[in-house]
Amino acid sequence: MVGYVLNRLIGMIIVMFIVATVVFVIVRVTPGDPAAVMLGPDATAADIAALREQLGLNRPMLIQYVAFLEQVARGDLGRSIFLDQTVLSALAQRAEPTFFLTVFAMLIACAIALPVGIMAAWKRGTWTDQLVTAVAMLSASIPSFWLGLLFIQFFSVRMGWFPTSGYGGPGESFAGRMQHLVLPAVTLGIISSALITRFTRTSMIEVLSSDYIRTARAKGVGHMKVLLQHALKNALIPILTVIGLTAAVLISGAVVTETVFGLPGVGNLVVSAVLRRDYPVIQGALLIVAGLYVLLNFIIDMLYLVVDPRVRF
Amino acid sequence: MKPRYHSLLAAALIALPLFSVSATAEPKRGGIINVATVGEPPTLDPMVSTADLVGIVSQHIFETLYTFGKDWAITPLLAEALPDISPDGKVYTIKLRSGIPFHDGGTMTSRDVVASLKRWTENASRGKQTATNIAAIDAVDDLTVKITLKEAYAPLLALLAFNNSAAIILEADNQAVPLAKVVGTGPYALKERKADQYIQLTRFDGYKSRAGEADFYGGARKQYLDEIRFVPVPDPNTRVEGAVAGQFAYIDSLPVESFERLKGGKSTPSVLKSFGWPVFVMNTKEGILSKLEVRQAVQAALDPNDMLLAAFGSKDFYEVDGALYPKGFIWHTEAGTKLYNQANPDKAKALLEKAGYKGEPLVILTSRQYEFHYKMAQVAKAYFEQAGFKVDMQVVDWATLTQRRADPKLWSIYITHSPFLPEPALSSYMSDASPGWWSTPAKHAAIGPFNTAVNAAERVKLFAKVQEAVYAEAPLYKVGNFNALYAQAPNLKGVEPAPWPFFWNASLD
Repeated sequence: MVGYVLNRLIGMIIVMFIVATVVFVIVRVTPGDPAAVMLGPDATAADIAALREQLGLNRPMLIQYVAFLEQVARGDLGRSIFLDQTVLSALAQRAEPTFFLTVFAMLIACAIALPVGIMAAWKRGTWTDQLVTAVAMLSASIPSFWLGLLFIQFFSVRMGWFPTSGYGGPGESFAGRMQHLVLPAVTLGIISSALITRFTRTSMIEVLSSDYIRTARAKGVGHMKVLLQHALKNALIPILTVIGLTAAVLISGAVVTETVFGLPGVGNLVVSAVLRRDYPVIQGALLIVAGLYVLLNFIIDMLYLVVDPRVRF
Repeated sequence: MKPRYHSLLAAALIALPLFSVSATAEPKRGGIINVATVGEPPTLDPMVSTADLVGIVSQHIFETLYTFGKDWAITPLLAEALPDISPDGKVYTIKLRSGIPFHDGGTMTSRDVVASLKRWTENASRGKQTATNIAAIDAVDDLTVKITLKEAYAPLLALLAFNNSAAIILEADNQAVPLAKVVGTGPYALKERKADQYIQLTRFDGYKSRAGEADFYGGARKQYLDEIRFVPVPDPNTRVEGAVAGQFAYIDSLPVESFERLKGGKSTPSVLKSFGWPVFVMNTKEGILSKLEVRQAVQAALDPNDMLLAAFGSKDFYEVDGALYPKGFIWHTEAGTKLYNQANPDKAKALLEKAGYKGEPLVILTSRQYEFHYKMAQVAKAYFEQAGFKVDMQVVDWATLTQRRADPKLWSIYITHSPFLPEPALSSYMSDASPGWWSTPAKHAAIGPFNTAVNAAERVKLFAKVQEAVYAEAPLYKVGNFNALYAQAPNLKGVEPAPWPFFWNASLD
């Protein structure tokens, strides 16, 4: 067990090193220049060159790379070219909306997906199952920007229940900020629920056709008990995996949704950074996101131990 | 009945002064406005950036010596009056207003102004462009500054007045690049900037406004509002919905196709006529367009009617106009514009043949960041192919475009746009160094006298020669004029339609 955890930790460090390298190279070989963006459309080539020098962007790539690795090793992700703050503080500032958006969206997704998926599996082959499958397909196919705009038009513009965008102004209360998250969370929750529903259904169908379930039924165990106590527990492993991965995707920034709703979250930060070619922010954000992915995967693997007693390392 | 008429008349007479009082009453002081902008400005230092968004926000915080009044006339702001200019146009003596406080308590003197102008000549694109002609910037006394030029340079005041790449006045000990303290003399001071969430400006209580009436960007600047918050809303559809829902007091840069939808909403949509001009900049330095005949073929091939229709959808939002300045600007002239709107593929073919064109690709660099650029490029491509060009259209993001256009080997035409700037010398095509690199004896023969002429009326006449040179040498293709769409809350008063909207003098009902 200890050996397994140590192996995983070493693997995580290697993965992070590879991610750091790949991100650094991709960012540098992508055309576009932060100096040109900062100086605006009428800047001359000489001005751009001067700013590049000031920002250290004209140094050989290898030297920049070594400096970047040294920085990362010290736990320093650098300073944003545009935001007048460190990358860590920029990410920390945006962590709140992204974190709560992820939590709410996941709660909504699970609240929809688990009962619906279980019901579809239970009613396998009936019109209920077909309807659930069709709706799940539809939800998965809806572009989040379209659904988001639809919700804005209906719930914000027509009903006036929620703000159209943003995360509140200065001094906004916690409740006020959370109100800004309702529509994006519902948007993401509905879209994310599709995948979880399908996994829940498939996993439950597989488990429900197991011998031990047949035995339980033969022994006269009630439907609900069979479903929730006997079947669901064993069906949870693949469901947990997909929930974890969905959460990882969301926490890394629901890029489109955050942009549509003007939420100052991690996804929005990454999009702005890419558009502006804010290299330190792109690198730092992607490193953190990759780290979260690795960590979440690790946590999910640890959860297997809890959920499935057969899993031992 | 008679007595009733009398009483009505009496009531009307009593009410009349009340109405006139309310009509001229001072706007209400107080309130907070949220202004939806297209995004987060890359910096709050308008000296180092030419981005419009930087200018829009920062003009509330920082001030320049001069600014633009009605009809874009240059008017003093931190300067006491327009400068005394020596008869040869080389020495500008600028008297400063006294007792102008900075947001952190300092008081402006000539020491601050000299340091700021030097920073401008060393760091701002337009400042550097001017620096080659500046012999000295000196403080004469605490409230007088003298700028000595190597030769007369008429655009100087416009350059000192402009709000991007701006000659803002900072404290002498706050001249670092990047800017260490966002401290200016403007009517609003920066309270908090949460990038991608808001920029919060609060009324600067120590502000010393000019006396008299408001005069567009100049004159008195009244601080009715307590706070102005610039909120980035990068998605244009969300800006539209925010306007319809009435979430913002002012919404900038709305897509013109949303006009009908906005009409039914809680904000009032308005069109800013002749806001700007889309332009195809041609690479005169390298490649096929370095030949004049090929550039003339570009000029002959295009039909601006179709390009503008594709880009803006309705004639309510554009005007087919070849003049570099539309009617209403003092710079407007029709000189040379007979070469505009030719839509003549046969002439273009003949010009290409004459130039010995052998099918080398015409590389069009465009971006979908501005959808109308892309739409115009698509129409242009069809016209170019009809004329016999082989077109290589490269659609990239804006950051890539701004990088690639700096390399003359990579493109033939790049598409951009600009608001109509108050002074022609501010336009990038006037500089030999800007991408496009138009630099010919004919250009210099036209621009030289225009830049050195001191008399304003004479400069207007000389601009006609500049426009003629632009059409004769085709370093660019002006597609037309386009309007901008914005919206504001019905209770927001005192906002003048302007390309870079400002909110001093604005109030809430």
